[in-house]
Amino acid sequence: MITRLAGARVFDPANRVVDERRDLFIADGVMAPPSERVDRSYDLDGLVVMPGAIDIHSHIAGGKVNLARLLMSEEHREALVARSAGTRSGSGIATPSTFTTGYRYAALGYTAAFEPAMVPSNARSAHLEMADVPLVDKGAYVMLGNDELLLRLVAAGAEQERINDYVAWMMRATAALAVKAVNPGGISAFKFNTRDLAIDAQGPHYGVTPRDIVRTLARAVFELGVPHPLHIHCNELGVPGNIETTLATIAAAEGFPLHLTHAQFHSYGTEGDRHFSSAAARLADAVNRNPHVSLDVGQIMFGQTVTASGDTMAQYRNRGFASPDKWILMDIECDGGCGLVPFRYRDHNFVNALQWAIGLELFLLIEDPWRVFLTTDHPNGAPFTAYPRLIRLLMDRRFRNDCLAQIHPAAQKATVLGSLTREYTLAEIAIMTRAAPARILGLDRRGHLGIGAVADLVAYAEDADRERMFEAPRHLFKGGVEVARDGAILAAPPGASHVVRPDFDAAIETEIGAFFDRHMSVGLQHFRLSEGELADAGLTLVAQPCRPRRRA
Amino acid sequence: MPVRAIACPFCGLVCDDLALEEDRVDARGCAKGAAGFARRATLLEHRIAGRAASFDDAAAAAAKLLGAARLPLISGLAADVAGIRALLALADRLGAVVDRWPSAAQQANLSLLQRAGALAASFSEIANRADVVLLLGSDPALRQPRFFERLLRNPGALYRSAPPHVTFLGPEGAAPQDPAVSERIPVAEDALVDAVAALGALGDGRKLAPAPALPLQPLTALSERLAGARYGAILWDVAAFPAALRGAALAVLLRLMRRLTLRTRCVGLALGGDDNAPGAAQAMLWQAGWPGQVSFAEGVPRHDPWANEAERLIAAGETDALLWAAPLAGAAPPPRKLPTVALLAGDTPAIGAEVEIRVGIPGIDHGGAVMRADTIVALPLIAARPSGLPSVAAAAAAILAHLAGAP
Repeated sequence: MITRLAGARVFDPANRVVDERRDLFIADGVMAPPSERVDRSYDLDGLVVMPGAIDIHSHIAGGKVNLARLLMSEEHREALVARSAGTRSGSGIATPSTFTTGYRYAALGYTAAFEPAMVPSNARSAHLEMADVPLVDKGAYVMLGNDELLLRLVAAGAEQERINDYVAWMMRATAALAVKAVNPGGISAFKFNTRDLAIDAQGPHYGVTPRDIVRTLARAVFELGVPHPLHIHCNELGVPGNIETTLATIAAAEGFPLHLTHAQFHSYGTEGDRHFSSAAARLADAVNRNPHVSLDVGQIMFGQTVTASGDTMAQYRNRGFASPDKWILMDIECDGGCGLVPFRYRDHNFVNALQWAIGLELFLLIEDPWRVFLTTDHPNGAPFTAYPRLIRLLMDRRFRNDCLAQIHPAAQKATVLGSLTREYTLAEIAIMTRAAPARILGLDRRGHLGIGAVADLVAYAEDADRERMFEAPRHLFKGGVEVARDGAILAAPPGASHVVRPDFDAAIETEIGAFFDRHMSVGLQHFRLSEGELADAGLTLVAQPCRPRRRA
Repeated sequence: MPVRAIACPFCGLVCDDLALEEDRVDARGCAKGAAGFARRATLLEHRIAGRAASFDDAAAAAAKLLGAARLPLISGLAADVAGIRALLALADRLGAVVDRWPSAAQQANLSLLQRAGALAASFSEIANRADVVLLLGSDPALRQPRFFERLLRNPGALYRSAPPHVTFLGPEGAAPQDPAVSERIPVAEDALVDAVAALGALGDGRKLAPAPALPLQPLTALSERLAGARYGAILWDVAAFPAALRGAALAVLLRLMRRLTLRTRCVGLALGGDDNAPGAAQAMLWQAGWPGQVSFAEGVPRHDPWANEAERLIAAGETDALLWAAPLAGAAPPPRKLPTVALLAGDTPAIGAEVEIRVGIPGIDHGGAVMRADTIVALPLIAARPSGLPSVAAAAAAILAHLAGAP
């Protein structure tokens, strides 16, 4: 089966193609060289074609998302989605049910979304849930850095090699694509009734500092050859003045690659009458100067949402802001936790307004679009359905300034946003939402349109209103099959599940097994997922390459 | 043949240290697990109107019966996660109501999360940290024989040097006899909610006047013990509270846990969760946005804990067909005159339903996954003694395939 997409304006930055009018060919689901024989042709005359978009940080599945769905029951009651001949029913906006999540991503031109906070002990359930998210490729980042066994190893001064073996074992056991650390040491500390953990503070029981954990994990991920750097949710989320912690976290990695996630929540100073200020310029400067550091923004958008996080310590601190007034905290299996707090971000609230501006400052002040990623930390800053509006804010300075004029007056004065003239180009959007996410996750056949790439691509009608353009793709192709047209879902294939499988010395398994047998309520052999069970659940695993490396 | 550790799906603990050797299971002294794994599939015949039929014909007859109903009900739901996922696909297509049997007690726990939230912990946290434990209402070991061993007697606890101080508060006749229980505070069954309210008031720092039905002194000591705990845990059996007062009792407990958490740690866990009730709730939540009592009748998932409760729907005569699937519980559907498609385990006697499809028991006849009562951990099951019977998932998929226009 050979498909031709004729006459499109192609944006494929990974292959240095920027707005070139050309025909694209798809053979058996992958991008192919031009062919005389064509079985099916689409006339995409003048449409903007890009690879399918990739969301590198979106809480779409796992125990905490289900808990958030319970908390958001009022919204689920209002936001009902009807079934159709080819699609399942569902509900929700900030925490959509799984099928609805897949359809909504597809309707926005997304072909992959990655769950960034899989608690190890919740891995089986999270993957079973992701099996019911159609249309997008998936994968999960396993949360380490508050798991008691790792803390024990670090406290005991274990050699890096053993740490690496442990991290590799955990990644394989949980079918993970990357490693995330959430408030390193802080979730464990909260279980010991410690309410704050600074980066150089010794945590309870183990005496390990967050700095130790960051360095150890960043190095482990690098040396194992996991493509995505340590994905770090820094300590002190949301705390005024936390920019010092964020910059210290970069230093703690000691030059090993690091990805700062939802950086907006970690870019706060203490200046001004209200002792809350933007430190986006300082973080942007650090990112601009450190090519081994990347970040995703975690932009907030005004309106109702729910914050869903592994960071029990921060969520407990934020419980007073819950709107509506209810919240959940859970301590999980000596390896993690989760906290759920509904939020309504208001443009007339000084702090919320400045958070909005700080996120945009980060986008506009970081020079390299390959190292800044478009996220709302769905649903923490806003549901992912806010992306088209966010893209317009980045591409359209006049629109941005109109929005800026609406927010709390003191926040307008506290941000440099109005003075930033930069407007993202279509090519930069294509980098930030497609080419760069694929590259930083190590997905070699996604995020570009070169020969052999999986034919995930999307066609938009050019529109000066970029929100309108990006919220209504004309065509979406997944694996070469047209799956959505003008917002209607035509087919709902399952999408692949991406994993990496680093090697480890089997000796570590004895140690992990002994720990599980003695202390945990699950044995090692059942904690670990098997490929067979994931396949039985309907997941198609794709292992991305992973080669050990040493720093020069 | 080597001995292999397997997980047991027959209660909410889902212990995973049972030993399988050939086809024999050592249930580690648990009567419930032993009885579960002793179940044998001897009835293998699918039936339409009492006559033997092929699996495919039975599935077609089931599709016809359910497809013709105006408001079919899918209940039981004591099945593995794959079974629940497939039943939900079928419900969505049929416009059916989906609810577990029974569901009221579990929903009382879940509606607290919907309304107010929770302070929760999973098993390993409680087993390794809890130094003060309050058990409310009933003896967990009656339904979960290894409860004390698995959750409270952990000899390898990481973060406490002595066994936890365990207080039971509830009717004298329901008090657990396990030696792990340090103290029993008896209250009459109809005074249990009052005792919880008193504990809540004491937690708020209020002084209480003596009341004849309330053991004020032990309650005060308990309140102080929880306040002095490093990591307190309150474990309750919601069914021990009168149905009309469950919401109020749980709200008091949540308020108490929140108040304690201002200074120390205190977490809660709802007891129960047998036969993969947690897995059913989780799969319904992710697929539909609701943990149970979902009606797909209007083409959208509507949740109404009263209107869509399976027991009420049947009793009120509001449903005109039943699809029953509860192989883990081994239960037959409630005896009502309702056109019924029954997915029955191979040891459940025939009930004379219009369509009977024999299905396997997860963990015995086929593999799968079930979730523990703490709702976070799913455990894998293997086919300990494969019989060749189809799974609930396979039966539901076959029925769906016979309905025209299935997505």
